[in-house]
Amino acid sequence: MVLELHKPRPIWQIMFSTHHTDVGLLYLITSLAFMFMGGALALILRLELFAPGTQVIADSMTYNRIFTVHGTTLIFLFILPSASAFGNYLVPIMVRYKDMAYPKLNAIAFWMIPPAGALIWLGFADFTWYAYPTYSVISAPGPAADMWIFGLKILGVSSILGSINFIVTIMKCKHPDLPLSKMPLLAWAYLTSSLITVVAVPTFAAALLMLLTDRLGASGFFNPAMGGDPIAYQHLFWFTFHPEVYILVIPAIGFMYEIFPRFSRKPIFSHGSGVTAFILLALVGFASWAHHMYATGMSFTEKTVFMVGTLAAVPASAMHTFNFLATMWGGRIKFATPIMWAVGGIALFFSAGAGGVVNSAMPLDFITHDSYWVVGHFHLFVMGTILFGTVAFVYYMFPYVTGRMYNEMWGKVHFILSFVGTVMVFFTQHILGLFGMPRRIYDYPPIPEWVQMNIIISIGAFIIGISMAIFLANLIYSSAKGKPADMDDPFGLGGKYYFPYQAKTPHTEGGGYH
Amino acid sequence: MNHSRRIFQTLKYIFQPTQKQPIIMKAIIGLGVILGLLVILPSVQYVLAAGDEPGEYLDRRVEIWGLFYRLMIVAFTIGTVVSGTIVWLVLRFRESNPKAKPTEYEDSGTW
Amino acid sequence: MRTRERGKMSGHSTWPEWVYIGVVVALLCYVGAEAWNIERIIEHVPADAEIIKVTGQQWLWTFEHEDGTKEIGELHVEKGKAYKFEITSTDVIHSFNIHDYVVLLDAVPGRVNTVWFSPTDAGEFPIQCREYCGLIHYNMRATLIVEDKGA
Repeated sequence: MVLELHKPRPIWQIMFSTHHTDVGLLYLITSLAFMFMGGALALILRLELFAPGTQVIADSMTYNRIFTVHGTTLIFLFILPSASAFGNYLVPIMVRYKDMAYPKLNAIAFWMIPPAGALIWLGFADFTWYAYPTYSVISAPGPAADMWIFGLKILGVSSILGSINFIVTIMKCKHPDLPLSKMPLLAWAYLTSSLITVVAVPTFAAALLMLLTDRLGASGFFNPAMGGDPIAYQHLFWFTFHPEVYILVIPAIGFMYEIFPRFSRKPIFSHGSGVTAFILLALVGFASWAHHMYATGMSFTEKTVFMVGTLAAVPASAMHTFNFLATMWGGRIKFATPIMWAVGGIALFFSAGAGGVVNSAMPLDFITHDSYWVVGHFHLFVMGTILFGTVAFVYYMFPYVTGRMYNEMWGKVHFILSFVGTVMVFFTQHILGLFGMPRRIYDYPPIPEWVQMNIIISIGAFIIGISMAIFLANLIYSSAKGKPADMDDPFGLGGKYYFPYQAKTPHTEGGGYH
Repeated sequence: MNHSRRIFQTLKYIFQPTQKQPIIMKAIIGLGVILGLLVILPSVQYVLAAGDEPGEYLDRRVEIWGLFYRLMIVAFTIGTVVSGTIVWLVLRFRESNPKAKPTEYEDSGTW
Repeated sequence: MRTRERGKMSGHSTWPEWVYIGVVVALLCYVGAEAWNIERIIEHVPADAEIIKVTGQQWLWTFEHEDGTKEIGELHVEKGKAYKFEITSTDVIHSFNIHDYVVLLDAVPGRVNTVWFSPTDAGEFPIQCREYCGLIHYNMRATLIVEDKGA
């Protein structure tokens, strides 16, 4: 294990290390810390929205800053780094190589995250995580806006460097006896999400630079007063960020590809189908970006093209769902905490996808655009699928990282409260959106249906908050005082914990630094 | 050249079973395309019939919410099937189910 | 139905998955066709629709009728007539939304977006902004007042 709290290694040994397990641990701790911080911001928002009128937030600008940092933190400082965390641990092991291809670059990519996080949190910009011009150019207060832009620039570079590392490690450093077609699906998940990153993210890097020069008055890319077009930014933004949502979800699906077969005590139903689905999603994911822009005044033909592109990505996700269900069929499943989270995640993944298919129908955008329907929809993906998949994997990897077992009962309580809370919050938000409540609003008129639903949503959010407090306590307590785990089979499944790629790290007995 | 013969031959080529794809998949996709057309064709007539005079305008609320309810029916039907399958799988294949038996992989301990 | 001989990657028959994918694709074709059709129908603007210019700015809505009448924060229209909105903004992106009539389109500076509707019920209906535009985005509201003919 890497994290031995009773006889801790010197902190600087971990901080200056370039070994993939240490960098993985740094990514993991950082991402989980930001998860709790971003989640806490959500609770403040929900406290304010509990009823019409002012509750705990004094003015609308503070509210706007809080939701901006909430979204920015959870996407860029939690989901992406947590994927990198487990990728760092497992990709070298899965391809049977000694470390990542570029260990020093790996450490550098991690260390870009704390300063970027500091820029975002010390700035607290207000222009939403999209930063659309012309608001972000002519109206958003600096220096918060500029700090956000710099923070995201740094995170973009970190993402690209990490992805290059994954791609080279998998494609060039894998063991000569291991063909790509036999590589575990989790490694395929990292390969495809890294490939999407290196293609998609540079576009946003360009857009950020253009936004900055526009803000400084040195250019007019997106400012009509200087001859520019604000919609151009939206195209650049969504060209990156629609594929980005696949970058976010693919590792979580990869985690589920580890968990379902292990706990069902049978291999994945179809490895080939999983590989095909990942590649298909990566390619088709680039064809749908402007479905986020149906309300900007696009022509009928443009909207149709992007609707078709959106629908074309659905079969790939359907293939993953089928694979998981077919893997469980005929198995003998031990419902420990990790697979409970994975099953919950798949159920919510389906509902998120179904809502997505409805969203892709252009006319329905007139009802749902920028309303709470959208908020409910995307949270079912980021919370329901990605967070559930990530938490499942945190529990699954807990013995690997700490050498101890977490508390199983509290893990299950965490799941039940989170699942109930997630359904209460995000399913209700779909309905709230149908009733017309816009997103990103500090206060709302006392329309009875809106008030009732907001109460339900806020209560659900606090249920999730309680469950996350339980999670934090379980993580910390069990890391220090949990029962030492049987490292061959901590879950008592009968198979080996990390067969076939059980490997020694410098931290297992007898191991030393390579 | 006999165009209808060419069209027929192309269709035959597309729809013949090959070793790689059982016909049922092609039949289902073909069915989907036909369903789609069946939806559009009557509506084309409806559009041409929609007037430009006061009292005959389209009510966008009715059209859009109608579409919404139709798609919701599809979504909830599939949702019931998928969720129902998940619930059944979880109950039937859990360890503690009396009918549970070890998988063929548990002897070797590797899967 | 024969077992696929190609199923070497999973070692067993995979035809259930192909059937499942076929069903998914058929449903997606249906969704796409329906959506395309409805969009086509509602984008057909009646020739005699009266033009109303809508201008969004931080943080209010102003309207100008064809005859030059201007209104701020309120829009009076007549039941049963067709109206075409020409929507723009003077500063940042807003979004013009009459939820009860399912009218929604962005107000983008430097560009004019068009949407039409025909109100069929008399009464007062809220107009709200549906694109984040800063401090008072949450309260950038107006009222649509639909009057009976001849009022």
